[in-house]
Amino acid sequence: MTPVKGGYAVDVPVINVSAQARRENATVWSTLRGFAVTLRHLFTSLFKGDTPTIYYPEQTRPYSERFRGTHILTVRNDGSLKCVACYMCATICPAECIYIEAGEHPNPEIEKYPLRFDIDMMRCIYCGFCVDACPEEAIIMSREHHQSVYERNETIYGIEKLMERPGIDAKGPGYRPNRPMAEAKIFNKAEQKECAFPSVLEERHPAVLYESMIRRRQ
Amino acid sequence: MPKVTINGQIYEAEKGRTIIQVADEVGVQIPRYCYHPDIGIDGSCRMCLVEVKGAPKLVPSCATPIADNMEVRTTTERVHQAVRYAMEFLLLHHPIDCPVCDQSGECWLQDYYMAHAGHDSRYPLGQKTRRKKAFDLGPLVKLDQERCILCTRCVRFTRNVTKTNEIQVFSRGHNSEIGVFEDKPLTNPYSGNVVDVCPVGALTSADFRFKVRVWFLKGTPSVCGGCSTGCNLRIDHSARAVGGGIPGYTATDGEIYRTVGRRNVDVNKSWLCDEGRLSFHSLQRWPRLRYAMVAGEQKSAAELIPEIHQRFESIRAQHGDNAVAALGSAENTNEALFLMKKYFKGHVDFRLGKEVELYQQREDELLRRLDKHANTRGALDLGLDRSRLNGFHGARELAERKEIRAMWISFHPQLVGDDSPEIIADLKQLIGSLEFSVLSTTHDFDWARSASILLPMAAWSEEKGTFTNYAGRVQVTNRAVMPPGDAQPLHVYMSELLKLSGIEAASNPSVVFEWISSEVPAYTGMSYDAIGLLGQAAVQTPEEVLR
Repeated sequence: MTPVKGGYAVDVPVINVSAQARRENATVWSTLRGFAVTLRHLFTSLFKGDTPTIYYPEQTRPYSERFRGTHILTVRNDGSLKCVACYMCATICPAECIYIEAGEHPNPEIEKYPLRFDIDMMRCIYCGFCVDACPEEAIIMSREHHQSVYERNETIYGIEKLMERPGIDAKGPGYRPNRPMAEAKIFNKAEQKECAFPSVLEERHPAVLYESMIRRRQ
Repeated sequence: MPKVTINGQIYEAEKGRTIIQVADEVGVQIPRYCYHPDIGIDGSCRMCLVEVKGAPKLVPSCATPIADNMEVRTTTERVHQAVRYAMEFLLLHHPIDCPVCDQSGECWLQDYYMAHAGHDSRYPLGQKTRRKKAFDLGPLVKLDQERCILCTRCVRFTRNVTKTNEIQVFSRGHNSEIGVFEDKPLTNPYSGNVVDVCPVGALTSADFRFKVRVWFLKGTPSVCGGCSTGCNLRIDHSARAVGGGIPGYTATDGEIYRTVGRRNVDVNKSWLCDEGRLSFHSLQRWPRLRYAMVAGEQKSAAELIPEIHQRFESIRAQHGDNAVAALGSAENTNEALFLMKKYFKGHVDFRLGKEVELYQQREDELLRRLDKHANTRGALDLGLDRSRLNGFHGARELAERKEIRAMWISFHPQLVGDDSPEIIADLKQLIGSLEFSVLSTTHDFDWARSASILLPMAAWSEEKGTFTNYAGRVQVTNRAVMPPGDAQPLHVYMSELLKLSGIEAASNPSVVFEWISSEVPAYTGMSYDAIGLLGQAAVQTPEEVLR
């Protein structure tokens, strides 16, 4: 390949656009074929009920297990916070949205714990670096992404809200690079709920098929 | 002088010095844990091993004195291997505490592991020896025995420097550990230094512990304002002292988190006393004065300066130059006091109590001195004790006799200890007997409200300038954080006043110092560049100043 004047490579395949257009030009035949496709879909969705429409927000698309939604602070078996306030997440955070205040833990084996752990969800860019940086898997991401609030300051999540909130229950955990999802206990609930696809959808649903196709590819 | 070859380069060095000392001077890096230039040689960590031509084994460079024609190699494979093995042994039982350890980020284990070792541990994590964690050695120091590498720097510090012998090595062999006797905690007035000398996270400061991670901090070299010794220190403050960051949501609000001793062989070696180390907290003892106040109302300081100048001028026109005077503070910088002397035409004093008698007297044998003001000697060198005011009490008498009618009083509270209540009461009386008084102060004191005009002043660590220590050594104190609100350094106010009275005075302290060095005989030939980080001794000897 030798660059010619202007810097372009010479042997780039050239598509003859006009020839292609001549082959595909619209005739009566191709117009009718288009109508046939449209009508077929109209009738199959009318009579067989096989529609790809998802009735959001009653139904949702299944989200990936690596979805990066709002954060979760995980807990130990006794229900106490896993976080040791090492500031790794606050250090790596490119949006500087994590604010931590550390305190002395009464147990010298644990030694350090966060008195305050705030994430400003409006500043957060959901990059997941904090999850990657965490040495204790104390912070993971959920699949929750709805944040409708009345006051702006409600978007600053404190420890309580990061540990447990209704949204986590419904959607389940998202991005957590180190461990398979089933192994870890996430929030202080006795059982971790299976967060499956919405029950309304059947297995042959296009959305389900799409999801399994993506998994196969991985 | 013996000639030594280090890594193929020939150096000349004094006889009796050790290899590591010569290497430090010429800038050759040798890893070390137990060697510290100010606490004596131990040779226990085996990190500083080097190859000497002719020696059958590697030698510890910290304990081997140099000899003529010695050939030292610090970069051979044999040395690297020895350091790698030493690191592996040191880390064998070291806990993986880095996330919670206060030292991480400035830990010598982390640094040398990355530079010289980089191995995977051959020891199972669960089988590491457990020891006692996070317990108090004294009011300022916490010990974690698991993290200790037994370099015995702290032991030798209490043995050789403070000579109090609190910290000892207990037990032998694998069981040996650092500790104190139960009835003898680490309470000596220099205990904070063991945290500085500890190369790992075994000794941590109870005051600084868990406040902030060290990589968020920025260090500014400065000088302690706690007493007349003028110890060199580094102020560690949040990194964005000048603007930036979201207030309350990032650790970047221009806050001082700790001070650490800075090595200066001529003043304080590497040490700081605990009072001086914690003296930065004293700036938070009272609420800071953020805005100028006139009769309880907030005013803009910039607008008040011309007004102040007019009042002073009208009183001077009415009653003569002698009716206007000023009272500096021995905590103000040389630059501020010098400009003050210029504006008030020599009618300036600084003595509140017994500073001049005390400023050379030692409180103990190591560092502390009885005069708790940083710049008494500087004020003396500027000749502020030779005015007719004759100290603060003399000024009060003059004011009561109406010979002084207007005064600028600068008050900076002592950083160590409290100002005596008599001085405060007398200051209040002085303000009461004046026709017009301007009080520039750092904090919002109740007693100060009676002054005609109250100006906010930058405190120690918020202004740049020079302090002269007890021995006449001129050292630079730097701005680490911004002063609160409208507050300005005193020398800025003074240069504004001088400009109004027609004298061109720079507000840049280094330019002011050039003026000082041209007029004050003790500072002849000095400049900020020459003073540098370690200070510069004045021309006079201490004997001359003892009067």
